[in-house]
Amino acid sequence: MDRRRFLSKAGKTGIALATLPGVVDSFSVRALAHGNDALDRLLGTGDRILVLIQMAGGNDGLNTIVPITIDKYYTDRPSIAIPKSSTLRLSDDLGWHPSMAGFRDAFDDGRLAIVQGVTYPNPDRSHFRGTDIWLTATDADVFASTGWMGRYLETLAPGYPASLPDHPLAIQIGTSISLGLLGSQGSAGISFRDPDEFYRLVNTGSSEEVPASPSSDTPAGREIDFMRNVARAANVYAKVVKQAADKGKATVSYPNSDLGAKLKVVSQLISGGLSSRVYLLSWAGFNFDTHANQGGVAGTHANLLRELSEAVAAFMADMKVQGHDDRISGMTFSEFGRRVMENGSQGTDHGTAAPLFVFGKHVNGGIYGKHPSLTDLDDRGDMLMQHDYRAIYASVLLQWLGAPATLAQNVLFRDFASTALPLFKSATSVNDTSRPASVGITSIGPNPAVDHVRIRVDVPPFSNASIVLRDIAGNAVRTTSVDAWTGTCDLDVMGLARGTYVVTLTADRQTVHSFITVSR
Amino acid sequence: MMRFDDTPRLAVADLTPRTEALSYDDAMHLVRRTTFHPTNALAATYAGQTPAAAVADLMSKSSNIPAPEWAAVPPAQGQDFAEYARLWPELQRWWYRHAVGTPSLRERMVLFWHNHFTADYITVYFAQYLYKQSKLFRDNAVGSYRTLATKTIGDPAMLMYLNGNQSIKGNPNENFGREWFELFTLGIGNYSERDVVEVSRAFTGWRIAGLEGVYNPQLADRDEKTILGATGPWEYPDVVRITLQQEACARFLARKLFRTFVEQNPSAESVDALASIIVKADYDMQLVLTALLTSKAFFDPAVRGAIIKSPVDLVIGLASQYNMLDVDPRVILGVMTQLGQEIFYPPSVEGWKGWHSWISSSTFPLRQRFAENLIAGKTATGQSLTDANGQAVAPNPTAFAKAITDADDPRKIVEATCKVMLAVPTTEQQRAVLLEILLSGIPDYEWDIDTPGAAVRVRGLLQAIVRMPEYQLM
Repeated sequence: MDRRRFLSKAGKTGIALATLPGVVDSFSVRALAHGNDALDRLLGTGDRILVLIQMAGGNDGLNTIVPITIDKYYTDRPSIAIPKSSTLRLSDDLGWHPSMAGFRDAFDDGRLAIVQGVTYPNPDRSHFRGTDIWLTATDADVFASTGWMGRYLETLAPGYPASLPDHPLAIQIGTSISLGLLGSQGSAGISFRDPDEFYRLVNTGSSEEVPASPSSDTPAGREIDFMRNVARAANVYAKVVKQAADKGKATVSYPNSDLGAKLKVVSQLISGGLSSRVYLLSWAGFNFDTHANQGGVAGTHANLLRELSEAVAAFMADMKVQGHDDRISGMTFSEFGRRVMENGSQGTDHGTAAPLFVFGKHVNGGIYGKHPSLTDLDDRGDMLMQHDYRAIYASVLLQWLGAPATLAQNVLFRDFASTALPLFKSATSVNDTSRPASVGITSIGPNPAVDHVRIRVDVPPFSNASIVLRDIAGNAVRTTSVDAWTGTCDLDVMGLARGTYVVTLTADRQTVHSFITVSR
Repeated sequence: MMRFDDTPRLAVADLTPRTEALSYDDAMHLVRRTTFHPTNALAATYAGQTPAAAVADLMSKSSNIPAPEWAAVPPAQGQDFAEYARLWPELQRWWYRHAVGTPSLRERMVLFWHNHFTADYITVYFAQYLYKQSKLFRDNAVGSYRTLATKTIGDPAMLMYLNGNQSIKGNPNENFGREWFELFTLGIGNYSERDVVEVSRAFTGWRIAGLEGVYNPQLADRDEKTILGATGPWEYPDVVRITLQQEACARFLARKLFRTFVEQNPSAESVDALASIIVKADYDMQLVLTALLTSKAFFDPAVRGAIIKSPVDLVIGLASQYNMLDVDPRVILGVMTQLGQEIFYPPSVEGWKGWHSWISSSTFPLRQRFAENLIAGKTATGQSLTDANGQAVAPNPTAFAKAITDADDPRKIVEATCKVMLAVPTTEQQRAVLLEILLSGIPDYEWDIDTPGAAVRVRGLLQAIVRMPEYQLM
């Protein structure tokens, strides 16, 4: 939403503009004592779409974003390293894998963010546990039976699954349903490979129905309820999905690949007006598990990266042509990266931290964090964490999907808002609207700041209020207390590097976040 | 450790033996869970027997299918890709002939081991190796887990699948070592990263020659290493010994057996109880399976129908119930693949996850359509089903009804069909609707099983039953 539209809407809702300074510039919205719906409309986040691409098997981050100036990369990987001369230029010390021209172009256009060194404390090197951790958004030693997207999506449809929203909340292109989409009441999404096939499956055969046996809380009874819910969602949505697919179109040619075909279906559905919020796609199989003969410039891994890059590039181009790019962002993820040192079979074993990609028109392109050190490693010889994956989830929830802070906190089981990265340009950062808020950031100026910045806050008198400024790596760079009486705080930003910082206000046991940019 | 997991769990399972003779319903339950042939005829043979006698019989039987002629021919270098790819479906059909051949607990265990020590044809490539692996599973299906695990380490399909044949002394490949602990023996949380490193060293030394995995001690890392707390110059047989000493190994296997045969979410106490039986039996699967499958817990009414059928159970099960096992294996295997279970191609080294992963908005209607079509004798595209030689395989609903009950009484047809087809009891209301569907307009006193109209009506009844979510349970 542009500033003009925002202000006009804000005006109509009767909110004093004085309480909303710098909304568009600082990405901050003062808490509004309205329901979530009003906020949703105000922020225009209600129709935003998130495309999640799972690189199952553990993507080798080091051969994806190549540290071309680190000698150790080349000595540790004698047979699979990507020579500097073969990489596509990314920065002075980093290069893209040569298969990733599509991602390179998006990055150069400012539409793609690279988050470096993403994992979590005590990373697990099991595919299955690692995948579950990423999908459920838990600590390494916490087990959850629902997925982060499922927990988020079910809040958008109160009464789900007894009353189903008009369109499916989420769609997985494939035949199974991911743990990531599982909510407390079963799956928040549906899955199919092809809309026509899905429609035919559901709508042929007899309509005679044997009535359900009464729900019973027995092992079999629970399975019957589970299946009836799945069946009902399929019945309700097969037609909706087909109508969208028939009406929609793809305007560019997609690469002839598994992921290309799947993203083409997504494009058709979005183009045809389906309002699902989340699409989840992955390759069939654990293709990225390159233990042996993974190749370098060419080969198995190179082909997978090419497939990813080309398919996403086509999809983004298509969405732009069709005018949907304002409401689409995407994110890749993989259960872990791979070991720095190659093994004896020209492959790499399971590792830890790896880069993650976020793409879309409203993404704040750039590289978030430094390339992980190849010398400061953990005891297995794996790279150390720079960003917790849930900080990126928090960015997506807060800034892209417009989730209130407490909802994001509930979804992620903990508060990751303070380490959220400013990954989205049209970001919104709001505090909880479900209770009357007494704390808020009312203005940040000038923003962008050059040498100093004044932050005005609204906090209860006599409260202990403090402000912390963090860089995008999550390091606190400024900490100061706030005079609660005047609600004003001045910060010297002279010594700070150019870039975006997260402003966190804590007072009265509440926390609010916003963003500032330092430029000079 | 924290859990945000509210899955209800049954109390501790009673693993003491059940000695009373089996009722018909008990026998149906037993053959549903232990074979791919949950038929009236099979249940009838076991009804009246003791659980011990029935289980012993199910364990003793096996299909005897000759090896494909290519199985003994070692793969040659430089042969055409198409030549090898051609063998993959042949391999699948070879497995299928076992599965449909003789109702047997051994065949379920062959699938169990395939889903435990996984491998797939895309990675292994040579069908000969997968044939050999499948034969290893069949020969040891209800034998010693210790033997099977040891042999699997040097099995060529496994060496290919998890890169054991490429793991070299000095810089080992961890693929097999990690999965050995995580998926084949202990389960996650019962070993350290250091154990993965050390065990991978102990698994070096394997190469493939012809059709054999060959262990060359000269190529193996035989230096001192510490695995699960034990230090020594361990080689692969030592690893088996050390690993199987862990209680976690017995627990891991126990949990899997519970999920396969009894219920999805056993309590920790139930798992412990079965694990101690496993330890006492020193991993002899014949003793372990006998104990589990003759236990009171296995026959507990609370677990009837608590398992969601795998595609193999659904597809072969229905074909056997309806006497349609002559249908072209390519059609049957194709449906299983569409439903997410392609034999010799599990989705990952973890195997098929089972349970809710079988059911999605696309696979559930696909299951219904397959079952309805099979009852009607049709393929998904509406063609009549044939055998592998193109001869028609016509369904016979009348014969089905007559075989299971007094088919002159429409109420008995409904009741008996429900008992054969459904693992959970039906309600009176459900049976009333099913009777309406069976009669479809004629008064019950006019019912005559020997009229052409009756066949159509029995078919309609069966189609209504296989569409029910209850039909997906076993």
